Amino acid sequence: MREVFLVIAVLLPLIGGAGISVIPWKKRGAMMVYTEGVVLLTSALAFLLILNRPAGAFTLFRFTGQLSISFRLDAVGSVFTALVAFLWPLATLYSFEYMTHEKHEKVFFMFYVMTYGVTLGISMAEDLVTLYFFYEMLTLVTVPLVMHTLTKEAIRAGRTYLWYSLGGAAFAFIGMIFILVYGNTADFTPGGVLDAAALGDKRGLMLLIYVICFCGFSVKAAMFPFSAWLPKAGVAPTPVTALLHAVAVVKAGAFANIRVTYFIFGTALLRGTWAQKVLTALTIFTIVYGCSRALKETHLKRRLAWSTVSNLSYILFGVTMMSPLGLMGALCHMVCHAVMKICSFFCAGAVIYRTERTYVHQLDGLGRKMPAVFLLFTVSGMALMGVPGLTGFVSKWYLAKAAVAEGGLLSYLGIAALMISALLTAVYMLGISVRAFFPGQDFRYDSLGEVSDPGWKMLLPLWIFAAVMVLIGLRPELLTDLIGDVVYSAF
Amino acid sequence: MLVLSMTVALLAGILLLTASFAEHLGQGKLSEAEKRSEAEAPDGRDGKLHIFVGGVMLLAAVTALAAAFGEGRETVLFFLMDRIPISFRLDDVGRIFLVLTVVIWTAVCFYSFKYMRHEGEEKRFYGFFFLAYAALIALDGAANLITFYFFFEFMTLCSMPLVIGRGGREAVMAALKYLFYSLAGAYLALFGIFILYQSCDSVAFRAGGVLNQALAQQNQGILLVAVFAMLVGFGAKAGMFPLHAWLPTAHPIAPAPASAALSAIIVKCGVLAVIRTVYFIVGPNFLRGTWVQKVWLILALITVFLGSMLAFLEKGFKKRLAYSTVSQVSYILFGLALFTPQAFAGAILQLLAHALVKCALFMTAGIFILRTGKTQAEDYIGIGKKMGLTLWGYTIASLSLIGIPPTAGFIGKWYLCQGALDAGLGVLSYLGPAVLLVSAVLTAGYLLPVSIRGFLPGREEGDWGPKEREKADLMTVTLWFVTILSLLIGLFPGHILAFVNGISDAIL
Repeated sequence: MREVFLVIAVLLPLIGGAGISVIPWKKRGAMMVYTEGVVLLTSALAFLLILNRPAGAFTLFRFTGQLSISFRLDAVGSVFTALVAFLWPLATLYSFEYMTHEKHEKVFFMFYVMTYGVTLGISMAEDLVTLYFFYEMLTLVTVPLVMHTLTKEAIRAGRTYLWYSLGGAAFAFIGMIFILVYGNTADFTPGGVLDAAALGDKRGLMLLIYVICFCGFSVKAAMFPFSAWLPKAGVAPTPVTALLHAVAVVKAGAFANIRVTYFIFGTALLRGTWAQKVLTALTIFTIVYGCSRALKETHLKRRLAWSTVSNLSYILFGVTMMSPLGLMGALCHMVCHAVMKICSFFCAGAVIYRTERTYVHQLDGLGRKMPAVFLLFTVSGMALMGVPGLTGFVSKWYLAKAAVAEGGLLSYLGIAALMISALLTAVYMLGISVRAFFPGQDFRYDSLGEVSDPGWKMLLPLWIFAAVMVLIGLRPELLTDLIGDVVYSAF
Repeated sequence: MLVLSMTVALLAGILLLTASFAEHLGQGKLSEAEKRSEAEAPDGRDGKLHIFVGGVMLLAAVTALAAAFGEGRETVLFFLMDRIPISFRLDDVGRIFLVLTVVIWTAVCFYSFKYMRHEGEEKRFYGFFFLAYAALIALDGAANLITFYFFFEFMTLCSMPLVIGRGGREAVMAALKYLFYSLAGAYLALFGIFILYQSCDSVAFRAGGVLNQALAQQNQGILLVAVFAMLVGFGAKAGMFPLHAWLPTAHPIAPAPASAALSAIIVKCGVLAVIRTVYFIVGPNFLRGTWVQKVWLILALITVFLGSMLAFLEKGFKKRLAYSTVSQVSYILFGLALFTPQAFAGAILQLLAHALVKCALFMTAGIFILRTGKTQAEDYIGIGKKMGLTLWGYTIASLSLIGIPPTAGFIGKWYLCQGALDAGLGVLSYLGPAVLLVSAVLTAGYLLPVSIRGFLPGREEGDWGPKEREKADLMTVTLWFVTILSLLIGLFPGHILAFVNGISDAIL
């Protein structure tokens, strides 16, 4: 009965998180220890589960017939699980220092920890219904985090986020209904679940439903034209923008799309159809669109958010290739982008925390005062550009390889988009670094005042991310061998 | 040995950069005035830094030369995606570039001691100087295309800060322009690499190319596009039209040693990249007679003419030299595009000659600017009276760039023209030599007036300029060192020609 631990992993942070607001804390230190303890315990449990993967599923409860909340950890789910389990404790550690300059810590940590449980629920969902359930829950537990500062801007951003997400989920819901009718089962099955006999001549309709469903889940993955909420949500505290809006929430959207494409509708039905082409074209457009908007944006966190928009579509581009190589690229980029982007967001957060500076042009010369932060920002920027030797190049390699193997105009356009995006990334990331380190000889450092690098709780996660970027960049087989096996199991 | 040389330079670079950072963090507390007085005081620390830098440079140079004259064994460092090794093996083309890099880098290093003392930010400069050196050595020795690309981007990133020096905002913007043009080129090339990768048997450099013939026939159309993307992309580094614009912005604003290094070596990495792509990955036979070859030739010729013309019209001395680089490097690219043994030999000779000569010219510019503080070419009237030593070096180097016998430039251009006429490309075969000739006239037109008016000022002689006659110092010595080397190549080209013919026999 190892399966029961799946539920425990999901429930532990949910209940433990709720506990933060219930327990009357006397000391801040105790709350920190408790919070980190819950998160670490969950992560340990998650890694143990990945290493000894229980074969069966665990049904928590059954509404009726096919409708049930049940968990199962398969290979693709393990990738996402491992990713969040690795990042959450580090992000929590970072938040302890960062949140000293925000208010309402208790509420923040409550929702922050609960989101962990919900995200694990998505990654360990056995079927589409469970996935959908946790997907909706994810929206609900993260809205308070977006609105955390309770400024007018934050509340407006939270509302936008809510409308977008709920609207997206409604689209996804349509897809789910059709699957329940035309599928053999709603459980995720490699190759898809559609029942050829029941489908009959409705293949064309199914393609349309697929596109609707994909677009619905893509709202969280911020694909054009559903991307506007993400930069707006940048008003949230940095740990939220970094972990949720660069990793957990947005990648949940991408992950759901992997599930829908490879495990529900099945690539056999979709490959080579207009549905695939339309979605590929949309992702290609988003790749360039996101980068261009990032270039135009002068607010640092919003710029990074636009960059996330672009990078998420790298993942979706891989997903819509509908080939083993494409899935490989998508999963690689899911992992790589998470590490790179969380690192750059945390650097941005460190700057805000220390100097209250949020616009790009205010960062000139800061590299001399905060060398560690800007060094790591540069490293993450170079990784995002895809400088060989860092993570970004690895995933880009597989995405491009998948596209070339596919052939056809759209694929070559996709590679071109990747390259244009890489160049624009260089402009909007390295431009900042260069001017931070070399503001020019006439720059007056006195104007910066007394600033320095933040404390170890903020720096340690950053150094770990940088180390991971270099390690995977120089020894990509550590990552790609694992993901190769995962991809093999999905076909 | 190669790896050893790289490691030495890499470690020294990182050490110097860390030291530079530590200095800055410490200096934050000093006031501006104190900082300035500290920078100007000629104290003993300066000497120690120079001994350290010189020592590291010599060590790195000696080990690299030992590698160049040793046998080329393959060293694998680690593996990237798809088990592609990051590995080094020196072949003959690599040897030429390696020796050239080591010679120029050492010369520039010793030249820069005096120059950079005035410029300031020495530790940072030498830090990036060594990092760039490590990347260049790695480029020369790279055994496959992925290794090459790996270090190509690394080299771009490390050489960018060299441009900034002590400059203000303008210099930073120039550096960014250099960076973004180079990256645009690199990504264009990467686009090509991705497409090419599927149709290659391996990515290791092999004379004659590694294309899988069956696949190549099948995908000829897209492969040609890929190769063209790589040519234009790598051509950005070599200052080829249409991605040449970074060069006249970045070179003049950089400190003189950096301009010399950029113009002599970094720009040549683009050339090396083109050689590797065309002769060692794709194979010249795949491109012969295709639209790619023709468009490439036309682009190179446009650049040759455009560069010379703009240099002729330009008044700023260093900017003029930068335009001249644009023009002269495309001579090399033109030669490489012809796919004949003579043209190849001409290209390599032109490469050697231009590297040495342009290094000398930028060194001259640095000395002039340092001594007189003037930057316009017209300002140097009568400068030969007090600074004859430098101006003679400049004049001899100029003659070589124009292509007057018996200098190295002449032999290179001779072979280039011969190769063009032999290539049998119709109009282009005749157009090429014609453009080269016009460009040579323009080259004389923009280089020689400085010498003529420097030595023969006529009545315009003013009472400006350095009061004392210049003495031979480290700067003039290094200037003469590279000038004499370029003369020697012109006088005794036999060995080099034989060596180059050995290469072209294998690849053509």
